[in-house]
Amino acid sequence: MNPIYWVFRKEVREMMRDKRTRGAALFGPIFLMVFFICGFGTILGDVTKPKGQIVHVVGEPSPLLTSLALKGIQIREVASVQEGEKLIRQDKARLVLNLTKPSSDPGKPQIIEAYFDPKQQKAQIVLSIVRREVAKESSAKLKSFLVESGLPAEASEPIVIKEKEVKVGEAGAGEFIVGMLPYLIVIWAFYGGFALATDLVAGEKEKATLETLLISPVRRTQIVLGKFFALSALCLVSALASVFGLVLVSVFKLPGSAFMLKGGLGISPVAGLITIIVLLPTVAMFASLLLAFSTYAKNSREAQSYISLASFVVVIPAAFSQLIGLTDAGNQGWVNFVPVLNTANNIRNALLGKPDWAGTATTVVVSGAIAAVLIFVVVKLFNREEVLTRV
Amino acid sequence: MVETDGLAKHFVDAKGNVVKAVDGVSFRAQPGQIFGLLGCNGAGKTTTLRILSTVILPTAGSARVAGIDVVSQPERVRASIGFMSTSTALYGRLQAREAIEYFGGLYGLSGAKLKDRVSYVVDKLQIGEFADRLCDKLSTGQKQRVNIARTILHDPPVLFFDEPTAGLDVVLSQTVMEFIEEARDLGKTIIFSTHIMSEVERLCDHVAIIDKGVIRGEGTVEELKALAQENSLEKAFLKLVEFQTEYRREVAAP
Repeated sequence: MNPIYWVFRKEVREMMRDKRTRGAALFGPIFLMVFFICGFGTILGDVTKPKGQIVHVVGEPSPLLTSLALKGIQIREVASVQEGEKLIRQDKARLVLNLTKPSSDPGKPQIIEAYFDPKQQKAQIVLSIVRREVAKESSAKLKSFLVESGLPAEASEPIVIKEKEVKVGEAGAGEFIVGMLPYLIVIWAFYGGFALATDLVAGEKEKATLETLLISPVRRTQIVLGKFFALSALCLVSALASVFGLVLVSVFKLPGSAFMLKGGLGISPVAGLITIIVLLPTVAMFASLLLAFSTYAKNSREAQSYISLASFVVVIPAAFSQLIGLTDAGNQGWVNFVPVLNTANNIRNALLGKPDWAGTATTVVVSGAIAAVLIFVVVKLFNREEVLTRV
Repeated sequence: MVETDGLAKHFVDAKGNVVKAVDGVSFRAQPGQIFGLLGCNGAGKTTTLRILSTVILPTAGSARVAGIDVVSQPERVRASIGFMSTSTALYGRLQAREAIEYFGGLYGLSGAKLKDRVSYVVDKLQIGEFADRLCDKLSTGQKQRVNIARTILHDPPVLFFDEPTAGLDVVLSQTVMEFIEEARDLGKTIIFSTHIMSEVERLCDHVAIIDKGVIRGEGTVEELKALAQENSLEKAFLKLVEFQTEYRREVAAP
């Protein structure tokens, strides 16, 4: 058996037995994805529903209150506007409606004063629900007035927008998946390897196992490659674990999934293929970067400090990938030359159903070249005497 | 056989000063003989062994291990040696047997040959009862036996022991020393580095006293005593190394 394989197998065996590595690289991405979708999906789904919302009301009974109640909104009466404002200040009321008497003159609108704290997001949500109901009520009244006046009801809306969706590329994934998944995949590809990386060389030095390894007849380049492949495999598995978490949520229809994954997963085989293609050189790049710091550092703590700083180099372009949809950059060639961002953007395009094969090829070449340079640096560092004597 | 000729290793420390860890060390260790490197902490023993095991390169001089040059053919040298020290640890998350197999694989053993050798060392060192336990869960004595197994698994002609009993209790030290004697009787060339006089007196056929990277005296224990004109190895050692001045001061001022 090749010595590279011996080193690889030993590292994989050790990492699978290490709770910290298992937790950080395998269960962490799955758990966080499930927690994120279920938690946020449930909360956001609930707060935007009319049912269970509370509206405080001052003044006359109104048909609007009936339609709000029919939507499941709880109506609570308040004695006066001043009392309602007090409740808002005490955070006991979100929205207080002051319903004035409808005017007998049909040309004059009925005024409904809505009191709320603009800094309260919950108040904004209730207000938007009330606005929708008021708009419906107004439209119904207007249509009825027009019909009574001998005019067609359609005249209430002289200009109407009809939305026509244009299909671009293959059917794509939903908004949440397109926005978040590329970012999470890239982030986990890096952070998944974090725990193991510090152990690989700096940890061996610290635990006094490195010397016996270096005294074996295996060439140091072979040792580096064995460790590099083990770390790359972990980074890849960690990135894919976050996708697995997403699949779990979707397949088992966990709470919150209906809100966050509207329209299902929508990850096509092509999107899956492109994700793997761009991930391979990316994990190689991350693994060699992590290994370089672990090899240079005196001990695990020093390695952790270096890697923590280096993580910004990964997080910043990855975070920008979430905003790229708001700009035209996503379709511009230069993005494919920016490490990390190119990976996330190619996954995003593939998830949108618009795979960019030229961009994918460029990304593979750029990330692969960086990985090759970094692995060369690691081999150089590992061949220095300081790898053992710098303690 | 292990031969060194004018072996030197100079480092530059953080302040830019040149530190002569080993400075012109020459000796010859024969097969079937235990060659002791006796010196205080920081005398240059570990650095010498690290050069001989090709982990670091010499600044000057030459060394041959089992007839192979340490600079030009380091992989072949490493395949010919076994190295053991109490400061080197085992992989905590590997089982004892896995740890032994791992090193067997690194030393080029595979298939039936690897299985046979692992069975042999497991039986010989009575590792069987804890072979499937993680190294982290082993007692110090059990770890030491696994360490010995790892060292002799590939049956190397040359064995290096760098303070192999440091931190061990009397019983464990005894086990290690018995193992070293057995290896000597099998015709291995053994370099034994220590600062413990009683171990040198018991084990070593030939001793080199090393201090500040320089060999201060060489020969059998009796020859060293005669050289220093002392009746104990400890006194001979103190006289030959840099404690010499202090020792003389004590003698001169009764």
